[in-house]
Amino acid sequence: MKYKGKLFRASKEATGDLNAKVGKIPQQLKSLFVLFLVLISLFFLLRHFFTPDTFGKYGHYRAAAIDSIMSQPLRYAGAQLCMECHDDIYALKIESYHRDVSCEGCHGPAIAHTEDPSEFVPPAPRERGYCPLCHEYNPSRPTGFPQIDLTSHNPPKPCIDCHDPHDPKPPHTPEQCSACHAEIYRTKAVSHHAPLLCTRCHEAPEAHKDQPRMHLPSKPTSRTFCGECHAMEADSPKDIPRIMMSDHGIGYVCWQCHYPHYPEVR
Amino acid sequence: MEDHFEELLLNLKQVVGFIFPNEIELHWGLLIVVYPYVTGLVAGAFILASLERIFNIEELKPTYRLSLITALAFLFVAPLPLLSHLGHPELSFEIFLTPHLQSAMAMFGFVYIWYLMVVLLLEIWFDYRKDLVVWSRNETGLKKYMYKILTLGATDLSDRALRFDKKAGKFITIIGIPSAFILHGYVGFIFGSVKANPWWSSVLMPIVFLFSAIVSGIAIMILIYGFTTLIRWKKFQMGCLDKLGSYLMYAIILDLSLELLDFIHRLYESEESIKIISQMVSSRLFLSLVIIQLILGSILPLVGLVLVRVRPLPDELRRLIYFGSAILVQVGIFSTRWNVVVGGQLFSKSFRGLTIYKVQVLGIEGLLMSIGLLLLPFVILWALIKIIPPWPEAETVVPSAAAERKE
Repeated sequence: MKYKGKLFRASKEATGDLNAKVGKIPQQLKSLFVLFLVLISLFFLLRHFFTPDTFGKYGHYRAAAIDSIMSQPLRYAGAQLCMECHDDIYALKIESYHRDVSCEGCHGPAIAHTEDPSEFVPPAPRERGYCPLCHEYNPSRPTGFPQIDLTSHNPPKPCIDCHDPHDPKPPHTPEQCSACHAEIYRTKAVSHHAPLLCTRCHEAPEAHKDQPRMHLPSKPTSRTFCGECHAMEADSPKDIPRIMMSDHGIGYVCWQCHYPHYPEVR
Repeated sequence: MEDHFEELLLNLKQVVGFIFPNEIELHWGLLIVVYPYVTGLVAGAFILASLERIFNIEELKPTYRLSLITALAFLFVAPLPLLSHLGHPELSFEIFLTPHLQSAMAMFGFVYIWYLMVVLLLEIWFDYRKDLVVWSRNETGLKKYMYKILTLGATDLSDRALRFDKKAGKFITIIGIPSAFILHGYVGFIFGSVKANPWWSSVLMPIVFLFSAIVSGIAIMILIYGFTTLIRWKKFQMGCLDKLGSYLMYAIILDLSLELLDFIHRLYESEESIKIISQMVSSRLFLSLVIIQLILGSILPLVGLVLVRVRPLPDELRRLIYFGSAILVQVGIFSTRWNVVVGGQLFSKSFRGLTIYKVQVLGIEGLLMSIGLLLLPFVILWALIKIIPPWPEAETVVPSAAAERKE
């Protein structure tokens, strides 16, 4: 009995202590604690009920989103579908320079044509202004990419008069390097190397004109090549700048410092 | 769809040099310009309020509460441009329910919730609690119940409770300053960490963003303080305006120096992108960067603010200079955001060409939508002012606890 009374007193004291401690917590903190508890519970409740069913099936996204994207109307058929009917054109194009250009790149979205070929006929650009979107001369285009100057290149004939868009190789082989290497040609034209022919430094096999990437032209490989004109003892016109081959830029090849197509620039 | 192609074809005609096919159209448009601009105003207005609170700057007292609720009004709108830009605003609540822990973009949700729930709302609540309790006792009808709910049941107005409010408010302000830095530094980080884009990729980006945020925050407070004082037919406190003006001046100097540092750094590094960037700055961005951002948005206001400090000018003229500078700064900072967001997408990743951006008027990414989103914070601010007036004269006086006991 005595023991029971002690225990009761002790537990009463402990409860009293706890009450006193809780009482010391400012009222604001208690309110905020309850508010945050409610908000966090609300978050989990909302998360439970409103997270889309298919969320997380494949990853951190709603799997049904794929279906809703798939349900969007298709506009492009893709080259594979074109090939099924136009296999002759496909066979021509796959061997040509335009092998990587998509059919619908020029003919526009054509899914409607695959559904009803007679109802919708995809347009085919025939005007002279279309091909220059890619082939007009632009110094920032990669060297070797076929480019023309629209004002001087057979005006006002439409491109398709001479070039078949599905196999656009030129009707006759380019005669000069400038036809493809316009940027280099124009740079060289204003440099001290202007009078030199390209073939002075590069040996280009005839096949390079037809298959430029299969048959690459040669390039000089040693210092002595430039020395043929620029060495002190070289047998070349007197006004050409000379250097001592034995002590000028030892250990380097000339084009590490001098750009051969515009050698005055270092 | 066909209209869209025609539009692209028109843009294509204005492309300079060589660009890749997917670079004709910009992916981030006007809405993404509005997003860092609005977020910057939040961070700026809050930092201004914090300065007053921590350093006890007496002159800025009239703008303390106003700055806090301005920051709140703009914070409510801050995520809206992003959510609208995603194209399915009706699904946007899902990103709040399923937070992602590893995506830098998704971190915005965490930064936003932290800033809204733990910093801004708490600070405002602690600051207003005393007034909310008094209003809940004095008001009648629906308002009485609204204030009662806002007190969250914490109606203790004893000296000890009020002291705790002050202490808690100060503590939250101290947490709030780094939080505000994180909020806007984060926005800068999102751009600065895109290492494939030389116009964005810079470690200075978060810092530049932060200081431009402070500049825009102080400027918007000058404008809001001026406008609200005018329409309430109150007398301007020139001490307050002078202080705001001087802070604006220092902030512009810091911001301008950082931006120049970034500029010089880029020029000196002269990476391979420098040519196309120079071309872009001198053509596409000339008006928005050199004329609007630099000359009208930074140098002109700076000249005005320095003039106020070196020459004694009459109050009327000083006010005009402050308001003029603040408007110019707003236009300038909006232009800064434009130059970052749009500028970063105008040049090709081939570094060989520039595309063009034309703002649409209608549509979810259009001009009208952006104007709406920029006006919305002011509507929210008006509502907040009606509910919790920030004016010093609206602040209630609590009878001391001793007096209460006597009653």
